[in-house]
Amino acid sequence: MRPILLQGHERSITQIKYNRDGDLLFSTAKDHVVCAWYSVNGERLGTYQGHQGALWTVDVNPTTTLLATGAADNTIRLWEVKTGRCLKTWDFPTAVKRVEFSDDGTLLLGVTEMRMGYLGTVVVFPINPDIEATQAAEPLFTITMSGSKATVAAWSYLNKYIITGHEDGSVGQYDGKSGELIQDVQAHEPDFLITDLQMAPDRTYFITASKDKTAKILSVDNLKVLKTYVTDTPLNTATITAKKDFVILGGGQEARDVTTTSSRQGKFEARFYHKIFESEIGRVKGHFGPLNTVACHPKGVGYASGGEDGYVRVHHFDKPYFDFMFEVEKMASAQRQLQ
Amino acid sequence: EDLYEAESANKEVIDKRKRQLDEWLAWREKVEKQLREERAKEGLPEDSREETWAGEEEGDTVIE
Repeated sequence: MRPILLQGHERSITQIKYNRDGDLLFSTAKDHVVCAWYSVNGERLGTYQGHQGALWTVDVNPTTTLLATGAADNTIRLWEVKTGRCLKTWDFPTAVKRVEFSDDGTLLLGVTEMRMGYLGTVVVFPINPDIEATQAAEPLFTITMSGSKATVAAWSYLNKYIITGHEDGSVGQYDGKSGELIQDVQAHEPDFLITDLQMAPDRTYFITASKDKTAKILSVDNLKVLKTYVTDTPLNTATITAKKDFVILGGGQEARDVTTTSSRQGKFEARFYHKIFESEIGRVKGHFGPLNTVACHPKGVGYASGGEDGYVRVHHFDKPYFDFMFEVEKMASAQRQLQ
Repeated sequence: EDLYEAESANKEVIDKRKRQLDEWLAWREKVEKQLREERAKEGLPEDSREETWAGEEEGDTVIE
């Protein structure tokens, strides 16, 4: 699995996202620039310039025409993917930590930070897919977090729910049309931040990563914890692979946060776990600092990781990866073929 | 005796995994069916994204 190193950012990477076809990869970093790359060879397609602060988040719509970004300059910006033109800027009183288009691209959510005098919110904007159209100035609705602030959020299948991950380790389920709270659960250890929340390809379940050193899979319908992946390091990110039943986890402690140097060893690796059996399968080394973000190619042919070290590493899976199966899976698959 | 112990431990792991696999597949079947029905009710096509991608490269052989 020979990685391609994407050098173009000068500061730590905050989020990476593949488009729906997987031919493009978008990355945001603390250096104020958004980059677009060809995932197959790592060539840079272009940059999106205009943000005045660290970028926290990026997402691309299903047709790869619109790009949304959120930043420490308290704005969400909408860009034309092809030209790099900024189509819309929405201003907020605080930083924007996460943006995500709905599965059909008609809605965009944004998670805003809690700061003195302002509660954390999730805002939802209608999106007109027409590049030349004027986008709505005001959100359809705003969810205000009275308790623990949301750090991440995502859309379920059919825009039915907005799922939120919180600073206190809880996960919330909101009505996708009205923004009303349906339920919340203490999915992770109390007071350990949920750092990432990514949907499965069909958005019927999702994975959360937490500073409590675990990642979990929950069902979007009832927030039931279905799977738990236990690691030995605080996690910043987790993703579900398409095609194979794996999950990829990333994290690691900064050197300055660790008291003994020995415990730092081996912490900056992407970890592969079996999604169903919850056991670790392997690790991929490479980064010189914690992994802040991992994303799986939507066709399951590779993955990319972005690190505190400012690098994006793009990996294309080899044949042994696709061939790998547990004994139990081999038997089940053989049985299915007999039937 | 050691061999017997190792084998029974092994069997436990395999049984647990079998159970996990069966449970997961049953849950997926239920959820996927429900999603298809809900999409149909809203007049949406069955999500064809994965079908269009299928068959691009698929390895059925097994190494462990």
